[in-house]
Amino acid sequence: MTDAKGSGSPPKDVRHHFHDQMAALERSMLGVAETAETMVGMAVEAVTTGNVVLADQVIALDAQIDNTYQAAHDQWIRLVARQSPVASDLRMMSVLLHLNITLERMGDQAVNIAKLTKVVDGLPRSEKIVEALREMGDLVRPMIRTAIHALVRRDIDETRLLPAMDEPLDRLNRNMYREVVACGADDKLLEWATRMMMVSRALERIGDQSVDIGEQVAYLLTGELHEFNDTGSAP
Amino acid sequence: MELVDQTEPIVETPARPTSHPIETRGMSVHYGSFRAVKDITLFCQERKITALIGPSGCGKSTVLRCFNRLNDLIPTARVDGEVLYHGENIYRDGVDPVEVRRRIGMVFQKPNPFPKSIRENVAWGARINGYRGDLGELVEDALTQAALWAEVKDKLDESGLTLSGGQQQRLCIARAIAIKPEILLMDEPTSALDPLATLRIEELLQDLKEKYTIIIVTHNMQQAARASDFTAFLNMDLDRAGFLVEFGSTEEIFTRPRQKATEDYITGRFG
Repeated sequence: MTDAKGSGSPPKDVRHHFHDQMAALERSMLGVAETAETMVGMAVEAVTTGNVVLADQVIALDAQIDNTYQAAHDQWIRLVARQSPVASDLRMMSVLLHLNITLERMGDQAVNIAKLTKVVDGLPRSEKIVEALREMGDLVRPMIRTAIHALVRRDIDETRLLPAMDEPLDRLNRNMYREVVACGADDKLLEWATRMMMVSRALERIGDQSVDIGEQVAYLLTGELHEFNDTGSAP
Repeated sequence: MELVDQTEPIVETPARPTSHPIETRGMSVHYGSFRAVKDITLFCQERKITALIGPSGCGKSTVLRCFNRLNDLIPTARVDGEVLYHGENIYRDGVDPVEVRRRIGMVFQKPNPFPKSIRENVAWGARINGYRGDLGELVEDALTQAALWAEVKDKLDESGLTLSGGQQQRLCIARAIAIKPEILLMDEPTSALDPLATLRIEELLQDLKEKYTIIIVTHNMQQAARASDFTAFLNMDLDRAGFLVEFGSTEEIFTRPRQKATEDYITGRFG
């Protein structure tokens, strides 16, 4: 029953059925974001310690994200087809669609890192590169949390923190090339290092994806879509 | 996805045909020599909202009015085929149309409260049906279910005509509910209302379907999409008789209709 019942005032939200369904979809996206962040952390741990068992766990977790991706996509189509959302509801639906795709890709990047862990099993390693990757992992996870926190709190100021958080990540990724070249004297080490450049690239992409989520949150709040920076993709 | 273009309607066949509170089988309606609708086979699920959509003149209201024998009031009308209420043909000899209409209520396009008090509007139907319970309770319960109680509880003796259009329509819904029907028929119940009053009625329908089976005729496709669980699309044939093109879950009709004619109509590519 609407809240007109016995309250003496008309209901505040005449479309509460739709709004409840949209909020439920948002909650399921927040759950996926948590899984994606966990997967990224596990993947970095796996690749920097050479833990192939942990890498397999990351790959297994991706099935959860894929299932939710499908279900969220179907629910999104249902809601748009049936509810004709407008204004902030329309922007929220746009954000949820982006979020679903972006989080699914983040999960895929974590899986890429996990697979590379298995590919390089047994090869020699460079501690300098391992350290850089660890640092990138430590930088990127707070970015995911910040982007999601900004969404939960509808906080425009928090979204604006993201480009600055992304800068050191981009720098580490750019420097990775030099570190890899430095491994050139040893074929086995070079093979490992080349794979690690792909890990670096994956972490850099996850950072960009976090910035994308921040841009979407800003769009939700302001109605205007702007790129936060133009360093979206590394060379 | 392949859309089909066929003359036979696509209707999901029910597993147990008689488990539906109301259905039609091969129903046709004539007004004199003019066949208004032909061969309608449609079943409505219990405590769900079924929407009838289609272009003007396709016979949506005619079909709706067969569900409680309102077409009997038109002297030239003739109904062939069957309209089954819990498996019993309501057009069979010996069925009392007044009893049919008590169980299957109707809310019309234009709010039409009686020129009586709000209280009397709700209590009247129950009283002439010999209701022996507490009429005060009945009035409160019906108005509460119609999401109107909070707005009128302090002015029950004022005329129903003093209310706004949206309130009047909810009063008519309360009046229909007060005689404790099982099924509610609604013939474009929001077409005379402003958008906010329309949304309030649509939300009210979501609450009402917990107790009632609802069939609604609407010109507003977004309303069918938002408010109904099942949608029937009717179209007009070359002989101007309305026929059922497709019937299925509203989700399916509005995301992946199987008939090309349905796709064309709901996407606005219709003739």
